[in-house]
This record gives sequence, C-alpha cells and structure tokens, in this order.
Amino acid sequence: MKTVIDAHNISKTFNPETIPIHAVRDVHLHLERGEFTALVGPSGSGKTTLLNMLGGLDKPDKGNILINGVDITSLTPNALIDFRLKNIGFVFQSFNLIPVFTARENVELIMQLQHRSKSEIEERVRTLFQEIGLEDKMDTRPAQLSGGQQQRVAVARALASKPQFILADEPTANLDSKSATKLLDIMAKLNEEENITFIFSTHDPRVIKRARRVITLVDGQVHSDTGPIDTSSDHFNTIEKE
Amino acid sequence: MNLKFAWRNVWRNKSRSIIIMASVAIGLFAGLFVEGLYVGMMRSRVRIVIDTEVAHLQIHHPDFKQDYDPNFTVDLDRIKDSLNKVQSIRKVAFRSITQGMLATTTGSAGVQIFGIGVEEEGVVSSLNDKIKEGETLDPDKKNGILIGRKLADKMKVKLGSKLVLTFTDRENNVISGAFRISGIYQTINTPLDERFVYIHRERLNEYLGLGDTCHEVAILLNRDEELDATKTELLAQFPEYSVKTWRENSPETDLMVGTINQYSTIIIIIIMIALAFGIINTMLMSVLERTREIGMLSALGMNRIKVFSLILGETFILTLIGVPLGVLMTWISINHYSVVGIDISSFSEEAMSSFGFTSIIYPEFPWENLTSVLVIVVGTALISSIFPSLKAIKLQPADALRQ
Repeated sequence: MKTVIDAHNISKTFNPETIPIHAVRDVHLHLERGEFTALVGPSGSGKTTLLNMLGGLDKPDKGNILINGVDITSLTPNALIDFRLKNIGFVFQSFNLIPVFTARENVELIMQLQHRSKSEIEERVRTLFQEIGLEDKMDTRPAQLSGGQQQRVAVARALASKPQFILADEPTANLDSKSATKLLDIMAKLNEEENITFIFSTHDPRVIKRARRVITLVDGQVHSDTGPIDTSSDHFNTIEKE
Repeated sequence: MNLKFAWRNVWRNKSRSIIIMASVAIGLFAGLFVEGLYVGMMRSRVRIVIDTEVAHLQIHHPDFKQDYDPNFTVDLDRIKDSLNKVQSIRKVAFRSITQGMLATTTGSAGVQIFGIGVEEEGVVSSLNDKIKEGETLDPDKKNGILIGRKLADKMKVKLGSKLVLTFTDRENNVISGAFRISGIYQTINTPLDERFVYIHRERLNEYLGLGDTCHEVAILLNRDEELDATKTELLAQFPEYSVKTWRENSPETDLMVGTINQYSTIIIIIIMIALAFGIINTMLMSVLERTREIGMLSALGMNRIKVFSLILGETFILTLIGVPLGVLMTWISINHYSVVGIDISSFSEEAMSSFGFTSIIYPEFPWENLTSVLVIVVGTALISSIFPSLKAIKLQPADALRQ
C-alpha cells in the first residue's frame, strides 16, 4: 500500500503565552491510500485541529507531516496553497459552498484554479454530478438545495481536483439521517470503487459504523487506533457500542 | 472566473453596492461640477478681460508703461496700414492715455484718462454697451466725458455735471480741462469703474500736445487661438514696440486662473479623501462579512494573488459603474446650468464684482480635465480597496474557518 499521510510527533498549542490549550499532543499517524478513516473523540479532543494540520490549514508547533513524501510543514504559505489545490480535498461541516455560484460553478472553480481545459472541466463535472446523483441540480444555487444536496456538491467539489485524499470535518453533523446515509453511501462507493482516501472527524455513529479505521482522540492524544478493520468484526461492534 | 466571481459578489449585497456606486458617482459629480464651475468662471473672466478690458494684444512704446510719460507714443502712420493687412485681426482701437486728477465741487480723485475713438472702442472694449445712463461720447461735443458708476457715486456727480481733469502735457506743464458728463458706464469690474474715465482722443491729444498719435493700440483677434502667432508676427513687424498678450497685460487674471486651478485640485482631493474612506469602510465590511468564505477559498487552493485581485476586481466593477453615472449626472446638470446660469448675486455680488467676476456663473463641462479627474477617482477607488484586499489575503484559512 502507498503511504499518503505520515505525521510524526505533531503538537499544537493555542494561546501559548496566556492560557495554553494543548489541542494536539505528540500525535503519530500513518495513513495508507484507500483508507476510510474516522477521527473520533469528544468535543475539544483535537479532531478538527488535527484534521486542519493534516490538510495544511494549520501549522503544528512541533513535528512534521509528510504527504506523499512532501513535508508540508516546511512549505512556504504560497507553496502550501498550491499543494492543497493539487493534493487535498476538503469537505466542511457547514458545506461552505459559494452562494453566488451554481452547484456546477462551485465544482468548476477548483478545476479552473488548476487551469484545466474547458472540455476536461465539462466532462469531469458531468461525471462528478452523476456520481453524487445531482445531475438535475447542476445549475441550481446552493440556497435552493437541501443540506444533504449541498454536502454532496461539496464532496464533488473536493473530488474535482483529483486529490490524494479528502479531509471531511464532521460532514454529517448538519444533515438529517436520510441525507447523511446517502452522503456516506456516495463516499463509501468512491472509496471502494476509486480507492479514494477519506479521513473524517466525527461524532456521528453512522460515520463511525461505516469507517474502516477508527482513531480515537482524547485530550489531544491518540487514545486508540483500530488500524484498518473489517466492519463486520466483533472489534468494530465494540467500537460502535462505545 | 475571477471577474465573474467579482461581478456576482458585487450584487450579493445590492444596497451596499448601490451605495458605493452612488458614492463614486456623487464624488465624481462633485469633483467635475466644481471643475466645471471654475472653468466657467475663469472662461467668463478671461472673456471679460479680452473683450472689455485689455483686448487680445496691446502695442505700446516699450517705456510707456513705466510711468505713463505722454512722450512715449506709437507712430500711427507706421503701424495702421500694416495692422490692416494682418488676417487674424478683427478690430483695432487706438488710445491715448495719461494719469491725472479729477476734481468736482465736492472733492477730487486720481484717475486714468483714456482718449478714445468712439466707434472703434465700441467694438474693441464694448464700451458703448456698458453705458447705463446718458449716451456715449458725441463727436460734436468735444468736452464730453464718460465716467464709471462707482466714481460718479463717490464724487457725488450725475449726468451733465461738470468736472475738471488736471494732468501734465508732454512738456511737463500742468494742464486743466473742463468736461461735462455725457454718460455713466458700469462694468462688472468695480475697481476699474472707479478709476477709468474716457474722453475724445483728439481732445486729449490737443491737451497733451500730441499730433495724430496714441499711446496704446488695443487689438481684438478673430480667434483666441491666434494669439501667440499674431504676437510673433507683430513683434517681427514692429521690433521697436512692446507687443503684449492679455496674459501679460492682465497678470492678475493669469494668476487667478492658476490659483483657481489649484483651489479646484484641493477641493477634488478633499472629495476623494471622503470617497476613499467610504470605499475602505464598505469594502472592509464586505471582506469581514466573508471571512469564512475567503478562508474556505484559501483552503481549497485559491492563491493570495487571486484573492487580492478578487477584492480589487469588485471595487473596480463598482467604480466602473459609478464613473459613467457620475459623468452623466455632471453632463446633464452642467448642460442645464450652462444655459440658465447659477446666480450667486444674493450672497456675493459685491465680492465677485470687486474681483472682476460676474455674479451669474455659467459652468462649462471640464473636458480638458475629465481624464485627470477620472484617473484620480478610479485610482482613489483602487487604492482604497488595497487595505481590505490585504486584510483578505492575511486571513489564515484555519482561523477564518473557525469563525
């Protein structure tokens, strides 16, 4: 298996000079291509901070993160933006679609930033909207879409740049049960059929149930890591109960 | 995509965008209208100076203006025919001039006495049109005199009153002559009304001991644009005389034109500063409202140059819409007021008149300054958006997304 993420001894402290909050402490993480991983833990356990650091949105105070062998902690801000554009897809809890663009334009934006050709963009957009099942909503603005539909468009946007992996911060938190299930089905299918790597931070048992690896954070440290698991195993059932 | 994005963002908050566009339009309108007022005022003042005071060009003996010595005359025989052959000249007036004292039974005042030809002066300085009481000098009444309203009021004289002019002739003898007021004139330049009096040139020349000659040749041209070329031509023809343009003969007017241009620039700068703060405030608000979205764009891979140009592009679009609106507003209002005029006589007639300005201003669209004003407005708008744009690119995606 190909290593996608290799994080060594990373730590992050907020307000180090006033009231220090140790959001992430000495975390080691190793993820292979094709993993479908959930970062779980109570609120304030450091899930989002860890996810942000893995995505190059935040810099660790200590340690380094290798994505496909590139140490993103040593990249300049501009190089990091370019790296994110080419290698990392993001799905946010509150969708964060651009309200003045249609669903199609939201997806196109990323590819236009990558200077892809018009024909390539058109073909990819069509494929992505077929995959998320929203071909008929391509020219609809986000405000006219349901939360679930918006999040599916956000997934399509994250996939548009053909990233190495997708980071999803609480992707189902704002969705009803039906929409959450539909979204997870799409992501699981993409993971299984196209071997796309997904890493979620979540509280949602539905996501945890579908994950094939669960890393639990407590007080900014890795409390447990199942490693890649078989979802039908007893071990998985124990996690689900927890 | 960035332009489309900027365009859509502009219409995201319609009322705010309309306020910025209106600010740009009103700022431009204010700047251009002030320019238009000044251009109108100055053109009108220059027109008055040329058409009623000093004409386009004047020819003198080079030493005459130093102390108005009556001996420094211009040889009429030498120049009359030559001037007739110059195509650009419309009309010429020959004037004899001396400084003297005007005395009445109630007092005396220093005056400048002009000996004129009635017909030619009627064209070159429109003197006959300015007579408010009585009539112009009658060729049959050699002791007629025209005096200004201000002087008449000061000396408490009226039409038909007698007065005595005292001055020195070419031999330095003190000469006095009695005159009767045949007309009282009034121009919009009250200081001149208080100082200039007009009598027949032949009469003044008799008193001064001069023959058929004069001290000043005032030349009115067909077109203002021919000024410098005609001056060059006349200087070549009459190298022994001084040939000066209205700018040199009325340096205070030339100075005033320059000063007023500076005033209008200062006023435009003040308007632009107010506009700049308006734009900074609004664009900053627009950026701060979209902190999360800008953070998200950065997270997805939109680089700083693109984020910067997005905010700059939004301001540019707002300005591009505001600018034609402002120009149109100015053009419509100046078109209207250039016909009906703006009457400021109710609060500054005397002040305007003492500087030689009319109290009704006819603004003119400042086409010559349009480009510079546009550059200043667009430049101000773009410079104003730099701070909000910098604010946007300094946002850290993780911090922005947390908001």
